[in-house]
Amino acid sequence: MNLLRRIRHKFSRRHVEEYSFVGIFKRFQEIVEMNNRLLGLIARANDKLGGDYIFDKQYIRSLCAEISDLVQKLIFNLDSIAPKKYRALYDVFNRIQEDIDELLAGRIVPRDIELILPYEKISRDIVEAVGSKNANLAEIKSVLGFLIPRGFAITTASFEAFLKYNQLDTAINELISKWRDDKLSTGETAREIQQMIGAGIIPSDLEKAIRNVLDRLPDIECFAVRSSALGEDGHRSFAGQYKSILNVPADKIPEAYKRVLASTYSEKAMEYRKSIGFTEWEVAMAVGCQEMVDVKASGVLYTMDPNAPGQDIMLISATWGLGVPVVSGEAPTDHFVVSRKPPYKIKEVDLVHKETEVLAEKNGGTSLRSLSREKSDQVCLSNKNIKQIAEAGIVIEKFFKRPQDIEFGINKQGQLVILQARPLAIKSIESPDASDLAMISTKYPVIFRDKGAIAQKGVALGTVFIVKDETDLQHFPSGAILVSRFASPILAKVLVRASGLITEVGSPTGHLATIAREYRVPAIMGAEGATKILKDGQEITLDAEENIVYQGIVKELQQYSLKQEAIEETYEYRLLRRVLRKIEPLNLVDPMDKHFTPEACKTMHDIIRFVHEKAVNELIEFKYYKHRDQGTASGKLKWNIPLDMVIIDIGGGLSTPPHNKVILPEQIVSIPMQSVLEGLARPGAWNNDPMSVDLGSFMSSMTRTFSTQLASPRYVGQNLAVISRNYSNISLRLGYHFTMVDAYISENINDNYAYFRFFGGVTDEMRRSRRAKLLGKALAHFDFRTEIHGDLVVARIKKFPEPMMRKRLYIIGVLIGFSRQLDVRMASDHSISEYLEKFKLVMEDDNERERENQHIVT
Amino acid sequence: MRGKEKTSILLLDDEPIVSKRLKPSLEKRGYEVEAFTDGFSALQRIKERKFDIVVTDLKMEGIDGMHFLTEVKKKFPETEVIVITGFATMQTAKESFQKGVFDFLAKPFKIKEITEVIKRAENRQRERASK
Repeated sequence: MNLLRRIRHKFSRRHVEEYSFVGIFKRFQEIVEMNNRLLGLIARANDKLGGDYIFDKQYIRSLCAEISDLVQKLIFNLDSIAPKKYRALYDVFNRIQEDIDELLAGRIVPRDIELILPYEKISRDIVEAVGSKNANLAEIKSVLGFLIPRGFAITTASFEAFLKYNQLDTAINELISKWRDDKLSTGETAREIQQMIGAGIIPSDLEKAIRNVLDRLPDIECFAVRSSALGEDGHRSFAGQYKSILNVPADKIPEAYKRVLASTYSEKAMEYRKSIGFTEWEVAMAVGCQEMVDVKASGVLYTMDPNAPGQDIMLISATWGLGVPVVSGEAPTDHFVVSRKPPYKIKEVDLVHKETEVLAEKNGGTSLRSLSREKSDQVCLSNKNIKQIAEAGIVIEKFFKRPQDIEFGINKQGQLVILQARPLAIKSIESPDASDLAMISTKYPVIFRDKGAIAQKGVALGTVFIVKDETDLQHFPSGAILVSRFASPILAKVLVRASGLITEVGSPTGHLATIAREYRVPAIMGAEGATKILKDGQEITLDAEENIVYQGIVKELQQYSLKQEAIEETYEYRLLRRVLRKIEPLNLVDPMDKHFTPEACKTMHDIIRFVHEKAVNELIEFKYYKHRDQGTASGKLKWNIPLDMVIIDIGGGLSTPPHNKVILPEQIVSIPMQSVLEGLARPGAWNNDPMSVDLGSFMSSMTRTFSTQLASPRYVGQNLAVISRNYSNISLRLGYHFTMVDAYISENINDNYAYFRFFGGVTDEMRRSRRAKLLGKALAHFDFRTEIHGDLVVARIKKFPEPMMRKRLYIIGVLIGFSRQLDVRMASDHSISEYLEKFKLVMEDDNERERENQHIVT
Repeated sequence: MRGKEKTSILLLDDEPIVSKRLKPSLEKRGYEVEAFTDGFSALQRIKERKFDIVVTDLKMEGIDGMHFLTEVKKKFPETEVIVITGFATMQTAKESFQKGVFDFLAKPFKIKEITEVIKRAENRQRERASK
């Protein structure tokens, strides 16, 4: 052999090795393995947000490191199966990774945030984009239903864009570093930065976005332009640190915007941030632009007396016209002391002589006007107004879990409009002595404990209101504790005003529990006998942290809960949520969609999903269509069940080679594969074949509601099984469910294992998690070690003797058959146990038949 | 509470979030808790008084948890030390048990998990005291 030929020979051999099926399959198996690990990691990370775990930044960092390491390897493996075909994934990965790194470094990523967001589109989930004041106000309307001014937020993305456009980001960072190293005084730093911002130019796309949103609000002439910085929420109140400008004509918004931005770096604000340990990297300013409400009177409500938080009172200060004098304290205002308890009795009125009022001028700006003699000595709020304000205050406080400082106005129609709500700084809430807390259950009479399950954590104090039917709801007093036999969704309409919820029937996964969480109302569900034990009007304390109901008002618990920082408000919680938003959501669901591309991947989960789908495809392509490797055989399964499955035999899985790339079920001798197919073929498991009495009728009732769209072949995807005599790896995409089975069965008991994973699906989250629970329970009943996280079910079993392993794979087959349809039927929690019992019965019925058959044989 | 004194716990973790969440939960369950985020102050405190239980991280910025727990055990052999860490390797686990650590808890953990470990540590102390 001459040299040239030898080289060529060597090269081609290497080539063959690289592209041999065994090599590729090894990569594929690694992908599957990593895929499983990743989904588990993500699911477990999500559990950490539930409030039970203590986790730190280190955990978040190592979680992200592990995930990106695995995802990178996934991409690498796909690249070695299909060289250069999906290289774009590396760019996508890098982009997501950069975002995550930014988040871990404490920066907010504005990449996917719009420059302007109208209030209707704002929720607390995007607090990083709009700042807490905007987010709170938007939810006060969207969740709690109060009136707020129309308007929009100029987001933190605009802030970043403004800085970048004017090349201020690096300049500011340099100044801040100098300031931190004490090379520059706060005053000098603040002045320099503010000057730079003042001289900055608003980028044209931002200006255009502002013009667009204003076009949609043509009747509003003037706006209040208010700061809404990040981190103002929670237990830090940045009250008075940043600027707000009233009555700005629409065309002057850009100028006002710059002035509010500049206030981010006022001396006062910088010193304040330093004093509370707020990092400058967390600084980002959003701005709210609100319609100037034509008010009769305005004021401020403190839902608690900051100097005497133990007293059950609220404080209101108000005056005619705009609320400027109330906030600045420059002129005398009327004061009211109101009870915190319904019916919100007015305990004290301090009426003052008011000489002037501040009014909005037609063309912008405000002016001081003299009041008529009559109005000067007239009380500026009606009793009805005061009660409205008090009730709103309690509802808002309950929702944000903190005493509130609320700015309000009464419009010309006499309606209450909430202008702003933020936490009220109360220094003197003394944390009750620890022993007080530990002794509570001996000091106060316990009515009951550990009945039912906690649906939403928290502490609620109030009077019991028992709801027997819908008409009772009309009389529900705000702040009462709602007690009901059923967890009916009808209760939702008063839940927002309730301070607590106890139901006799229902579970933490039910619809009402979701609503309780949305409204953050402490709730216990499934507390049997509650409507009999508790009496209407009885004062109780519901401790939905420890699951105890006390007789009377337990003050210590109230103070404790007001002082406690909710986990949602810790930096670590926010950080984990932010990084998970780059990791967890799945946007790529339909592989048939033309947007199922690397470029469309927005999260790590998208990449994971994409890689898995393509790995399956590549394997099919390689073996089935190109038929490149002679050592193995492949073909399509021809069966009465439309599985559309390609089977690749890597050794001894088929009795005879496939003819014309068609494999018949009877050719399959792979032990695990045979068992799974038998399960799938069980009458009733896949179709509505009217055979089996139990499962058959149960299945057919399910298939009736099963949408025809999902049953169409388009949604029954290309499926793959790689088999040998003892081994099967099955990837199934049925509807939008992804199922994976990996199993080995032989005579050697120690080698035997089966791994089952089920994930995804259409229908709402609640039903999906019910379906996951049913699958989990059914598998656990048959000795699988199961893990359920939301919609992900992972089940493992190993070291069982061959006949028992076969049976388990058969069960998996049956479960796969009906799980693709199950969620459509899982309308209540009750259905979990109902279907589970039916399923067990059917399986036992099978056992009977098996035994009979054996009997006949012997 | 049978009139007996409260169990005292010293908490050391350089990430403030850990004490911030753990301290109130433990206090609510009747423990007396002092929390530290730097090893130096914790060491100073150990010189001043004894704690029934010490809960400490191992790998912290600028602080060696192993050093801290060694000092604690040297001074108060009967103090039970519970290690909480995100980097649990066999090596560190082995080393801490050799130093007489009561138990090892991997971060993140549930509040319930740590209170159970603390209860077990209390039981052991009680048993030892009754001997």
